[in-house]
Amino acid sequence: MVVMFTLPYFVPIGVTRLLVMGAYLAIFAMSWDMMSGYTGYISFGHPFLIGVASYVTAILCYRGAFQPPHIILPLYITIPLGIAAAVGAGMLFFLPSMRVRGPYFSLISLAYMEILYRLIIVVRSDYTGGDRGLPNLPSVVTGAIPNYYLAFGLMFIIGMGLWFVTRSDVGIGLGAIRMDEDMVEASGIDTYKFKLFAFLLSAIVAGIGGAFYTHYLASLGPRRLFSTTFPFDIIIASVIGGMGTITGPIYGAFFLTIVLEYLRPYLFGQWRLFAYTLLALLVLIYKPKGLYGIAQDIRNYFSRIRRRKVSE
Amino acid sequence: MTKLLEVQNITKKFGGLTALNRVSFHLEEGEVLGLIGPNGSGKTTLFNIIMGDLFPDYGKVFFKGDDISKLPPHQRVRKGIARTYQVPRPFKEMTVFEGVRVAALSPSIIGCLNREAMVHGPEIRKLLEEIGLVERLSMYPDELTMGDLRRVELARALVTKPRIVLLDEIFAGLTVAEIEEIDKLLKRKVKEEGLDFVIISHDLKALSPLVSRVMVINFGQLIAEGSFDQVINDEKVKEVYLG
Repeated sequence: MVVMFTLPYFVPIGVTRLLVMGAYLAIFAMSWDMMSGYTGYISFGHPFLIGVASYVTAILCYRGAFQPPHIILPLYITIPLGIAAAVGAGMLFFLPSMRVRGPYFSLISLAYMEILYRLIIVVRSDYTGGDRGLPNLPSVVTGAIPNYYLAFGLMFIIGMGLWFVTRSDVGIGLGAIRMDEDMVEASGIDTYKFKLFAFLLSAIVAGIGGAFYTHYLASLGPRRLFSTTFPFDIIIASVIGGMGTITGPIYGAFFLTIVLEYLRPYLFGQWRLFAYTLLALLVLIYKPKGLYGIAQDIRNYFSRIRRRKVSE
Repeated sequence: MTKLLEVQNITKKFGGLTALNRVSFHLEEGEVLGLIGPNGSGKTTLFNIIMGDLFPDYGKVFFKGDDISKLPPHQRVRKGIARTYQVPRPFKEMTVFEGVRVAALSPSIIGCLNREAMVHGPEIRKLLEEIGLVERLSMYPDELTMGDLRRVELARALVTKPRIVLLDEIFAGLTVAEIEEIDKLLKRKVKEEGLDFVIISHDLKALSPLVSRVMVINFGQLIAEGSFDQVINDEKVKEVYLG
C-alpha cells in the first residue's frame, strides 16, 4: 500500500503513465471477470459497454468546432450519464443474448461491438466525429501524478466492491452457474436473477472505466476502441491473472501492460500479440487460476513451512 | 386423501418419436411411487416435464392443486419438488459441502450478499451426517465413488426442503450394502418427515420394500399400475420385460 501511494514520486513519469494504463486495463478486466469469469458467459464485446459510456460522456462535453450548437455539460454530469448509458445499453442489448449460451453468446457480443462501431461512423457523424473520433476532450485531472491517484483510487474502490460481492454467497451462486447452470436452476435458484446482477455490476464497472479512461486520454478514437485486439487484451489480462478471482485480473492487467512495454524493443507488432496469446493459452492449460493461483500456491507453501516449524 | 402431485395427459414428441403419449397419474400424500419400464420408455422425460426442465407439447402438471405447468424449474423447487439426476452432476470445482450449500442459498441477491443461507451450515452438516457423507465434506467430486455421488445428489435435493423428491435411478451402480442404507434412509424420511417419493429404478429388489404403488411405462404409455406384487405378476409387464 505504502509503495503504491508513494510510487509516482520515485519512478519516471513514463512509468507512471504506464501504470495508469495498467490500472484502467485492470478496471476493464475486473468488469469482464465479473460477468464472464464468474458466470462462464464469455464476452468478446466488452468494448461495446465501454464504448457507449465513452461516447455519451465525450459527446455531451465536447467543445469542438464542427458540430451544430448543442448543450455542453460539465464532466460531473456527463460521466454519470455515460455510466448510466452503459448500463442501459447493456440491459437493452446484452440481456436478450444471455438466453443463448457458450460460443453463441460470445459471437453475439462481438457482433454488438461491431454494430456499435458501424453505427458511430454512419449515424450523425457530426456528433460522433465519425471515424476520426473526438479530440481535445476535457480531463478530470491533469498531469501524470493526479491521474495516477485517480486511476488507482477507482481501481481500489471497484476492486473492494467486487471483492465483497464475490466473496459473499453471490460469488458461490455465480461460480455454480459457470459449472452447471441447469443444476443451479434445479437447486431452486433463479439463475436469471444472478446473471442479471453480475451483468449489471459488470456494466457499471465498464461504464466507470470507459468514461474516466476517455477523459484521461482526452480523446476518443473509434479505431482504437473497437479494434479486435482491445477485447482480447481485456480477456487475456483476466486469463493470465486468473478468471473468477477479481484480484487476479488486476495482477494480470499490470503484468500484461508492463511486460508488453518492456518487450517492445525485442518483439515487434504481430509477434507481441502472438507472444501473449501463447502465454494465455499456456496459463489456461497449466494454471487455470493464473497469477492468482500462483500467488495462492506460494502463500500456502510458506504457511506450510511456518506450520512445520511450529510443530517442530 | 388429497392429490399432492397430478399429471394430466402429458404428451411429448421429439421429432417423429413420441416419448410420452397421454400419460396421466397422481401421487397422494404419504405415497411412495415406483416408476419402472425398459430403457427409453420415457421415465426420465416424465421427470423432466414434472420439474420444468422440459415443457410438454400437451398436458398439465398440478402440485397441491395449483397448475405449475408454466413455472420455471427454480420456482417448482421452491414450491417443494426436488429431483436427482440419473447421471450425477456435481459442481466439479466445489467440495461436497460447498456443492450441497448451493442448493441452500438464499433466493434473493440481498440475502446472498448478507450470507443469509436458507439452511445453515450446522443443519447441512446434520443432513450430510444422516446421509453418510460426513467424512467426505471437503472432498471434490472426482475423488468420490458412484455411491457417494448418488448420496450427494440426494443431499442436494433434500436440502431444498422438498415435499416430493423425484429419484432418478438412485440405486444404479451401488453395492448391496449401499442400497440397503439408502433404502433405510428413504424409509425414515417417509415415516418421520412425511416426504413423498417417486422412484425410477431398474432394481426391483431395491424398490420392493419402499414403494406403496408401482407404475409401468413402455413406449411412452402407462401399461400397468398397482401394488408391487400385482404389477410384477401382470402379463403385459412380463411381456415387456422378458420379451
